[in-house]
Amino acid sequence: MSSTWMTTRAWLLMLPLLVIMLAVIGWPMVDTVRLSFTDAKLIGSGGAFVGFDNYLKMLSNNNFQRALYATTWFAVVSVTAEMVIGVLAALLLNQRFYGRTVLRALLILPWALPTVVNATLWRLIYNPEYGALNAALTQVGLLDSYRSWLGEPGTAMTALIIADCWKNFPLVALIALAALQAVPRDITSASLVDGAGPFARFRFVILPYLAGPLMVALVLRTIEAFKVFDIIWVMTRGGPANSTRTLSILVYQEAFSFQRAGSGASLALVVTLIVTVLAIGYGMLVRRTAGSAA
Amino acid sequence: MSTLTIDAIRKSYGAVETLKGIDIALESGEFLVLLGASGCGKSTLLNIIAGLAEPTSGDIRIDDRSIVGVHPKDRDIAMVFQSYALYPNLTVHRNIGFGLEMRKVDRAERDRAVRETAKLLQIENLLERKPGQLSGGQRQRVAIGRALVRNPKIFLFDEPLSNLDAKLRMEMRTELKRLHQMTRTTVVYVTHDQIEAMTLATRIAVMRGGRIEQLDTPENIYNRPATLYVATFVGAPPMNLLAATAGEGGLRIDGTDIIVPVPDLDGIAPGRRLVLGIRPEAIERSGAGVPLTARCEVAELTGPELVVTAAMGSQRLVAALPATTRIAAGDEIALAVAPAAFHVFDAETEQRLN
Ligand SMILES: Nc1ncnc2c1ncn2[C@@H]1O[C@H](COP(=O)(O)OP(=O)(O)OP(=O)(O)O)[C@@H](O)[C@H]1O
Ligand SMILES: [Mg+2]
Repeated sequence: MSSTWMTTRAWLLMLPLLVIMLAVIGWPMVDTVRLSFTDAKLIGSGGAFVGFDNYLKMLSNNNFQRALYATTWFAVVSVTAEMVIGVLAALLLNQRFYGRTVLRALLILPWALPTVVNATLWRLIYNPEYGALNAALTQVGLLDSYRSWLGEPGTAMTALIIADCWKNFPLVALIALAALQAVPRDITSASLVDGAGPFARFRFVILPYLAGPLMVALVLRTIEAFKVFDIIWVMTRGGPANSTRTLSILVYQEAFSFQRAGSGASLALVVTLIVTVLAIGYGMLVRRTAGSAA
Repeated sequence: MSTLTIDAIRKSYGAVETLKGIDIALESGEFLVLLGASGCGKSTLLNIIAGLAEPTSGDIRIDDRSIVGVHPKDRDIAMVFQSYALYPNLTVHRNIGFGLEMRKVDRAERDRAVRETAKLLQIENLLERKPGQLSGGQRQRVAIGRALVRNPKIFLFDEPLSNLDAKLRMEMRTELKRLHQMTRTTVVYVTHDQIEAMTLATRIAVMRGGRIEQLDTPENIYNRPATLYVATFVGAPPMNLLAATAGEGGLRIDGTDIIVPVPDLDGIAPGRRLVLGIRPEAIERSGAGVPLTARCEVAELTGPELVVTAAMGSQRLVAALPATTRIAAGDEIALAVAPAAFHVFDAETEQRLN
């Protein structure tokens, strides 16, 4: 069979999928780009071509800058915490102890819960009148009176980050745990005989095997964190005083709450651009890490 | 320069007893080889000496100091693993110097020691490479260097050569022997390769099912195997084992009318079931020994020798004869075995009798 026929056949077989992808992803993308150069409303006809107006307004607009800052803060803090807690949990669960199997099974639970359920759960925990957090903190004497954790601009973001960590650290832990099991026993033994303490062992024995998989976890989590929407929407809707309004929330409000399809589209494209740049940058980093560990 | 005493060591994993009471006393500078089939507990014993596993009971002493419960790093031992176990992202230099680095030996001193060791092992030109950039043989040299540089009281090797190809394995074997003659450090070496065991050891412990079957010099393991198991485990082609019965004036090989007079066999009741062991290489074409006749079935030239499989009554005999011997299938051949080359075992207890 000739190679041209093989190639043609491959394309023919992929054609249906390509058509569907173009229809559901390609076309909306193109339309979003078009919309972003108009002042179209969500309801009603067309909208006039306004050039780069939407983009210029957005970049000079305080809302965008605050949302970008909130998103970055959320992503950096929650992902960092998830990585650290995830790795520590994996190291712990890699030790031999009674009940390890049960704990390993339980670990997956927060991650398996749908985000909406997790968010609702944490809303209950943070509830200003009957929340468990208030009860616990007052009972141990750390708090004088109940607070509205999600209702105060000073604490809402931190409360969100904690809820997000709780849900997502198990993913990192699972990936790390799988990687830990790939560390050869002989190397661990050799390091013990060589007199390496826990830190040296982590640095020289475990980390080389952990770095690649962790990099993948880091990429996945950062990109997801930058796109965060559902957990925030359920818990705070971007409030109070817009203190938890991330880019995705802003896009939603612009396009659907304020019905400004044009400027919503321009915002959405900027978020897409940021995530794409992150993905490419990380992709290169992953390839480098994988290359050096082998 | 250290003695090693292993005293009634037992080890159980759950209900399974892997080591069933091991006793070994090593003089300073000895090269002990633990030889045995897969799963007989060689690695387990080595790990217990290293401190990577704790014995269920028993004691281990280095220079009369008990080391049970002592952390591996404080036992003054060094270990070489079958998988090399190099640190993947450290250079060869740092791999070799790692134990010294962890022991806070200063940089200049460490560098000097690493270079000296590398020179000894002829890997000076590899010092800046990572393990991933080395061949199997080079990696094993690095692993040996890492053990050597620390100048420990005892070296432990767990099948260090089994991942190498045949030629390299022979080279490294000689190399190890040279290193041992030079350093005179006490060595415990695990292998299931009998040639390695015979060539390297000052003493061999043949292990089977968690016990030591025989602990002796290579000469005695080969010339005077204490049990049937040891007899078949060492030697290639393996020792011929012929069913025989004790009788007047010697023992009769079953299925033939050959009577073999064996010295030192007094007091064995006639009729007792025995096993007569004859090494293929102890069989000669002619000579002053006990004559045997057999019919050649297959003759295979291996190069240095002609391996003949022959029928002797209802039993089968393998003989390793000089390569110049001319024998073809179907030939009736006259063979001879020196009386001292017979090994006699009890068929029930499998213990040596002569
Ligand atoms: N950590 C462990 N848990 C349970 N059983 C074990 C453990 N380590 C070893 N064993 C068992 O102990 C027995 C002896 O194992 P060991 O590794 O000492 O054998 P070995 O003589 O080194 O074999 P090989 O030549 O294949 O390396 C085996 O049956 C093995 O299954
Ligand atoms: Mg083993």
